[in-house]
Amino acid sequence: MLIFLYAPIILLVVYSFSASRIPGQWGGFTSEWYVKLFEDPRIQRTIGVSIRVALVSTVISTMLGTMSALALERFKFRGKRVFDALLYLPIIIPDVTMAVMMLMFFTQAFDLLNLVFGIGLSKGFATIVVSHIAFNIAYVSVVVRARVAGMDATLEQAASDLYASRWQAFRYVTLPLIAPGVLGGALLAITLSLDDVVVTQFVAGPGSTTLPVYVFSLIRKGVTPTINAVSVIMLVASLILVAGSVGLQRASAARGRQQLRTTGGK
Amino acid sequence: MTERSGSPSNSHAAVSLRGISKIFDDVTAVDNVDLDIADGEFFALLGPSGCGKTTTLRMIAGLEIPSAGSLQIFGEEVGPLPPNKRPVNTVFQNYALFPHMSVEDNVAFGLRMRKVDKAETARRVAEAISLVRMGGMEARRPAQLSGGQQQRVALARALVNRPKVLLLDEPLAALDLKLRQEMQFELKQLQREVGITFVFVTHDQEEALALSDRIGVMDGGRLLQVGTPEEMYDAPVDRFVADFIGRSNFLHGTLENSTTVCLSNGDRINVPVVDSDVIAVGDAVQVSLRPERVMVCDPHEVPEGHARLQGRVATVTFLGNSIVYHVQLDWMTVVVETDHRPDLRRRAVDDDVALWWRDDAIAVVRP
Repeated sequence: MLIFLYAPIILLVVYSFSASRIPGQWGGFTSEWYVKLFEDPRIQRTIGVSIRVALVSTVISTMLGTMSALALERFKFRGKRVFDALLYLPIIIPDVTMAVMMLMFFTQAFDLLNLVFGIGLSKGFATIVVSHIAFNIAYVSVVVRARVAGMDATLEQAASDLYASRWQAFRYVTLPLIAPGVLGGALLAITLSLDDVVVTQFVAGPGSTTLPVYVFSLIRKGVTPTINAVSVIMLVASLILVAGSVGLQRASAARGRQQLRTTGGK
Repeated sequence: MTERSGSPSNSHAAVSLRGISKIFDDVTAVDNVDLDIADGEFFALLGPSGCGKTTTLRMIAGLEIPSAGSLQIFGEEVGPLPPNKRPVNTVFQNYALFPHMSVEDNVAFGLRMRKVDKAETARRVAEAISLVRMGGMEARRPAQLSGGQQQRVALARALVNRPKVLLLDEPLAALDLKLRQEMQFELKQLQREVGITFVFVTHDQEEALALSDRIGVMDGGRLLQVGTPEEMYDAPVDRFVADFIGRSNFLHGTLENSTTVCLSNGDRINVPVVDSDVIAVGDAVQVSLRPERVMVCDPHEVPEGHARLQGRVATVTFLGNSIVYHVQLDWMTVVVETDHRPDLRRRAVDDDVALWWRDDAIAVVRP
């Protein structure tokens, strides 16, 4: 079982250091592919785009996702159940469908804007960011909601009883208590954004391609050792983010258990 | 609504409710309540769960907005104001201490939100912490405190703001029996010390009797009666009140005039004067007969001039300091509780007995 899971990873890492030009053939140790990688201006550019897209979309989707999680957990409003169901759609919808949807949306929207205001917009950095925000909100919201649901709502009432305004109650009571959930959601969002190929490929424009999409396009010309190296870097980056996210959740769970123990023990 | 003790007459009651109602969707949680709570009073809202007492408290706190009526605190209309704009503070049932803050930061929260200057905040926080005898625990987190200590921190966190009215939602419900009795005493002491009006909600009649200057009993969203603990026990006006505060026997009858009730077995008995505003002559009423106020004697030995009921002892229950008899009349069963003393003759099952009482030992209540 584990062989199927880990053998490809090990092979990938090993061959990314192979001196042979033909992937899958060992030709002695070298780090030349990594050096090449960082000298390649296109790869540098796409890494830059990836990071910027990930940061911007993570910040915005974390804010929006947290807001919607709070709205769904704390308030009653008309259409709440519909909103609740709709929010989960991006998680359920296949990537390709999502990608086609976003592409059509942008094409139509840009046509309309062009028609009405005469603004000629084209696909690029902004469209990628918007698409990533669109699917990330759902994931962030799910993670944050679990945390908000576990938080005692009377704490917010107590804050407001103690003269806190709505904003102060959020800033000093709610936010510190849901922070582990918000951070976990943000890490999930950044990971999803860095990894996404399908949606990005549809909405990316000339000159603004993310790293995974670029790698994917390289593969069509055949697998090269450079691709191995890029893949390893992406793998490592993802692992660090996931480890961070798991670590955060562990830490907050441990704190919760400790609180239970100390209150329960007395 | 009925009040045996007239509401405080000063123009600015600490809390004044006029025609207050709260309707959730289609459930009426609080139904047209009128109530005045005097400055410096320790007032209990007593009732079973779901009677509307907590909703009433939350409306005073601003955590619920009344659907109808006027709510004033020291003469100022606060009905629609949010909680942070009211001169009241609340001790929540589960204390609602902020788990991510130390005891000191919890207590200082209200002052910091109001931007009281630092030196003043530090001084008042230290004062409040020592008032509730939590000195030395300033750096602890709530999770590291026992239930009783959390309760004290919650009190300090509210009192440090010097509210005009302190609201307490079932303040002792989460504590075990022994601690509860200790905290009852401490609460009462604390209230005398700080002189602030305390309004607290409880479903525990003993707690209400022990702590409060006056009690308001609620059921089904309505305020049934307000009075001192003695008034509530001695002169309930509603069967629910008589039944909820202590135990009682209820004899059915009709009010013939303000001092006479015709029981359903045809006997006429004298009763304490009934206020015609509360119960009208000709109404169906019940006579509340407290088990410990009924005397048992041999038939025909009832002192002259007292109402009597003839019956037969059905069961005898020994409780140590008292004996409880169930006496079977031909039309109902009456529970009687007598002291267990050598000078009182103990009755046996199937003894024929007579029951009697002083005319002022009973109360006429709405059924």
